[in-house]
Amino acid sequence: MGVVTDKLPGALEKVPGGNVLVTRFDEIINWARANSLWPLTFGTSCCAIEMLMATGGPRHDLARFGAEVARPSPRQADLLILAGTIVKRMAPRLRTLYEQMAEPRYVIATGACTISGGPFIYHSYTTVRGADEIIPVDVYVPGCPPRPEQLFHGLLTLQKMIKEGETIREPGVRRKPVISALPEGVTLEDIQGQMKELLVKENVVDVQHAVDKLKWPSGLNERSSGKSDANESGAGDGT
Amino acid sequence: MEREALQAAVCELDSAVRPLDENADRAAVIVEASALPAIIRRLRDEPEFAFAQLLDHVAVDWIDRGQFELIYQLYSFKHKHFLSVSVLVPREDPRVPTLCRVHPVAEWQEREVYDLFGVLYEDHPDLRRLFLEDDWIGFPLRKDYQDDFMLDRPR
Ligand code: SF4
Repeated sequence: MGVVTDKLPGALEKVPGGNVLVTRFDEIINWARANSLWPLTFGTSCCAIEMLMATGGPRHDLARFGAEVARPSPRQADLLILAGTIVKRMAPRLRTLYEQMAEPRYVIATGACTISGGPFIYHSYTTVRGADEIIPVDVYVPGCPPRPEQLFHGLLTLQKMIKEGETIREPGVRRKPVISALPEGVTLEDIQGQMKELLVKENVVDVQHAVDKLKWPSGLNERSSGKSDANESGAGDGT
Repeated sequence: MEREALQAAVCELDSAVRPLDENADRAAVIVEASALPAIIRRLRDEPEFAFAQLLDHVAVDWIDRGQFELIYQLYSFKHKHFLSVSVLVPREDPRVPTLCRVHPVAEWQEREVYDLFGVLYEDHPDLRRLFLEDDWIGFPLRKDYQDDFMLDRPR
């Protein structure tokens, strides 16, 4: 149970004869939404290749953040990742795609082009100056193109927003859109180090720690310590 | 064939063909607009040249000279050589015969150039816009194109 409460929003309450997990539906639902984002990839130019396809591949691996099931159909997606220049001819199609997605839907705009028109803002007869002229955007990820790590940073930001945001009592009430820029002076090695740390922390299930953290009723405590001895000796034998 | 030899051999074909020497990396010639389809057809059919593919068709807006330069890039699978054929047309009345009957692929390439430069291809079966909306006004890749949407860089 300790493993569960570390990750799920909620608290363990002791009642006679056992423990009960207490949480709120809002939090459970937001937790589930944040960790199972299915992106619809809207890649129209260089950003899509340099960043979006790179994050889907095995080197950067979007799957670690629960967002790897890239959908070709808006009906099955709840996150729209915009990557690339949007032109006037494309704008109505983008609007249609967005409206076909089921609520709740989230939008990440990556790259200078989708944020503002980017390099094509002047002297262009057709580049739309920012995706937010067409659809609402939740997270902006700047760069030309952004590093794959920056998309992860944006994705983690969105997950945080979802966990703190919208409740089922007040649907549609969101936090303001955010710019998920990497802080200045941060190097690629720093980000990779932090990501590694985070992943190790999130993905290693420390059973012994969980057992120790729980205060078992007196009879169970003996059993658990006996079990942990067995575990340790088992591990010792194995190595 | 080598670049110079090919260029000279193509210029032998007809008096409407002149060499174009600014272009140093592949054989290039200038052709009179009226003679264009006949010459492209001969370049395709004569085994010595065998230019079976029209790779690309683009236009350049030489606004100072008041001309559009229409460039046809040809390639031969047989001899593996390239040729660039240019046609100069006046900006005020840009008309040129279509190449659809010689290379069917020219139909869409010419529609693209019509869409962005407004060059009129005589005898083209379906000269409509390709990339822009059908009700678009003007031809945006002309150097003097202006509309209300465009922003100028602040100085
Ligand atoms: S922001 Fe840069 S990399 Fe991304 S689509 Fe625009 S020009 Fe390409």
